Amino acid sequence: MFKREIYRKILIYALTFLFAFPLLILILWAFSGQWPWPNLFAESFTLEGWKYFIDPANGALESLATSVIIGAAVTFITLVISIPAGKAMGLYNFPGKGAVKILVLAPLIVPPLAVTMGIHINFMLLGLADKLIGVILVHLIPTLPYSIRIMTHTFEGLGDKFEAQARVLGAGTIQRFIHVTLPLISPGLFSAGILVFIISFSQYLLTFLIGGGRIITFTMLLFPLVNSGDRMLAAVYSLVFIVSALIFTLLMERVLVNPKQKTDHFYI
Amino acid sequence: MFKFRFNKWYPYLLLSPALIVLLLLFLGGVILGLSQSLGYFPVLGLEDPTFKYYLEVWSSTEFLHSLAFSLFISFVSASLTTVIGVFFAYQLLKMRNENKIINFLYKLPIIVPHIIASLMIFLILTQSGILSRFAYHLGIIDEIAQFPRLVFDKNGFGIIAAYLWKQIPFVVLMVYTVLKQINGSFEAAAKNLGASESQVFREIYLPLTAPSIASAFIIIFAFSLGSFEIPYLLGPTYPQTLSVLAYKNYISLDLTQRPYTMVIAMSLTMITVILIIIYRKILSLISRYHID
Repeated sequence: MFKREIYRKILIYALTFLFAFPLLILILWAFSGQWPWPNLFAESFTLEGWKYFIDPANGALESLATSVIIGAAVTFITLVISIPAGKAMGLYNFPGKGAVKILVLAPLIVPPLAVTMGIHINFMLLGLADKLIGVILVHLIPTLPYSIRIMTHTFEGLGDKFEAQARVLGAGTIQRFIHVTLPLISPGLFSAGILVFIISFSQYLLTFLIGGGRIITFTMLLFPLVNSGDRMLAAVYSLVFIVSALIFTLLMERVLVNPKQKTDHFYI
Repeated sequence: MFKFRFNKWYPYLLLSPALIVLLLLFLGGVILGLSQSLGYFPVLGLEDPTFKYYLEVWSSTEFLHSLAFSLFISFVSASLTTVIGVFFAYQLLKMRNENKIINFLYKLPIIVPHIIASLMIFLILTQSGILSRFAYHLGIIDEIAQFPRLVFDKNGFGIIAAYLWKQIPFVVLMVYTVLKQINGSFEAAAKNLGASESQVFREIYLPLTAPSIASAFIIIFAFSLGSFEIPYLLGPTYPQTLSVLAYKNYISLDLTQRPYTMVIAMSLTMITVILIIIYRKILSLISRYHID
């Protein structure tokens, strides 16, 4: 019995190592100057890549800001739409619920690439293409299903008893929402918000198609670097990306989550 | 009376913003894509619906090779991901004390985008990559060319590796959350009656998590099928996956090619719709195990 526990630990550590190892390599490459085959360690270390990144002429920080702005806008809009939708799906039964469920989940399965290619020409006709607003709108397609799904589960778990209680005690609609519902759904909002931000932040293809090369997000710069095989520079940009995403996660946690109710946030 | 009417429409009122967005953007996109693939494209002066483009694309060898390549990659990566993910989730559940570092590390790939996953797989698996350097120092190979081509290869090895790295944590998370909610007394009762650990897994945990495992498999399969970055960055020049093929056709400036591109995109959509139908069939089959 005890032996089995040790095997299990070794196995879990080994698998976790496999997930972490590529990130380790990424960090090494971000600081490596000369690192020819077959050396296991770089011959020289350098901050060249970081200097290139910081240099305003290369527009990296500006594009990072664009990504954050788009991500924040998408997160806000998606959450505002998903709270009532999740409440409806989680608390009520109504005719047509099955069809709505399919419509909500379908964008998870149908490739966003196909949807975006279909809608592109109409975005052009409506003057939404090549604009920030168009990119924000198109990012709603892959993000909404996740956040509605999370909010549905949140409301299912919560029930409507708390709100009813507050109503009995004389609280109005807005009071009920701010003082009762919002604090109770904040863990769900947190997981949804993070997931939505990450999906928007990571988006390449949709931004490229609808933004038409005019809206330069961070992934627009990263993609050609990876494609051309510039290992050091691509590693630098990648690290910046991962750290930015982590910082956002921590910020969201500060704002939304009561330290007493920290659980597994990513329940999808 | 008023209250009754209010209650009746209330859920629809709550849903309306979401429905407007989904109907306009998502369903609108699918319908427009479908009509463009059928040759209804007023902007180009095409107004007569026809199956011509479908017939042409579906009979071309390039398309068929891409289709086979896409299905192969998605099936292999989704199967491996699900098996390894479920196994890992079960081991995590059985571990006596939760380990914060492991809990953090295994979730990290979820926030890493596909572009970066591709880069890391490239850094490790390419012929001058880390693995090849280890192989040299262990005396397995003497020169760079002896290391097998693991990225840009025709078997899609690099693509599958990147998908595994990115998607296993997703499955672990989905399945682990469900596993944790399963009532421990089932296991206690089974053990009391003399069940072994593998029996407990097969007879209790597996059937109870089957619906979420099935939905994880479908989501991953569909995602791999429609995803573009990883196969573009790590795939061979031939065959290309359907998503890469659609992208390359789309960005070519020749607008008369557009209906052909939309046929490829709609083929992807149709495969995923068929998947959803199969999924619902499977779900109704396995749901008889489900205890409510």
